[in-house]
Amino acid sequence: MRVEYINPFVESSVSVMREILGIEVKREQISLKSKAVPILDVAVIVGLVGQVEGRVLFDMKMETALKIVSKMNEEELTQFDELAKATITELGNMITGRAVTKLSEMGYRFDVTPPAIFSGHNMEISDVEIEALIVPIETSYGRVEINVALREK
Amino acid sequence: MGEKMPIGDKGDGASFRVLIIDDSVFVVKQLTQILQSEKFDVIDTANDGEQGVEKYKELHPNIDLVTLDITMPKLDGISTLERIMEFDKDAKVIIISALGKEDLVKKALITGARNYIVKPLDREKVLSRIESVLKK
Ligand SMILES: [Mg+2]
Repeated sequence: MRVEYINPFVESSVSVMREILGIEVKREQISLKSKAVPILDVAVIVGLVGQVEGRVLFDMKMETALKIVSKMNEEELTQFDELAKATITELGNMITGRAVTKLSEMGYRFDVTPPAIFSGHNMEISDVEIEALIVPIETSYGRVEINVALREK
Repeated sequence: MGEKMPIGDKGDGASFRVLIIDDSVFVVKQLTQILQSEKFDVIDTANDGEQGVEKYKELHPNIDLVTLDITMPKLDGISTLERIMEFDKDAKVIIISALGKEDLVKKALITGARNYIVKPLDREKVLSRIESVLKK
């Protein structure tokens, strides 16, 4: 997988989280995973279809997810309920929207599926064929991993 | 000088009546808070397109504005807009879209949407777009 696909997602994650949450956000070292990825507690998954295809996954601990959605709602949410899910989905939309705009400026044409949320322990995402690049982002609310598995069609 | 009149005030003490069609409870909550802070009357909300069309038909003509999400399950924003415009060609619909959906927004404007707002929702931006739609 080409690294240039992941950069727009990392850049937009960093900038959206800084702007929307107003917290410290720092990008860590990129790593490569070819096997199934165990997800943390909450994962937002966006699919891409078109000239570039695959998926992007934003993965985090429940504690981190709850801090993020509480901040966005300006009220403390203690359960990962419907409002919390809708809120983290919106964050996913904002990040993806900005990344997609960058990628289409680079000349890639594709559609994005609406974000889907997965939550729970001991879950695994396995992508046959496509290897995944992972960029952890360290924030004052905890770590968010951006896991991108995309390929050119 | 006197205070500025809230944007949601029609001028005769009554409020502009808004229907919010959006599948995200987060966006519905945000929009409701912004609108109510300017004295708009959020008369109803629908969390999918089909329900949105039904509610519009029920409320018509006692409704002034619709905010319509472009990506929704069941019936998407464009099809919802088509049905609303078919029923009421004077409907005032404003599109709420994520970034990166420029083609859909263009299509919505051609179909009859009066304006659009790109998320994240910024209070000033939301109110100025809505105000310009209501003033026309
Ligand atoms: Mg939506």
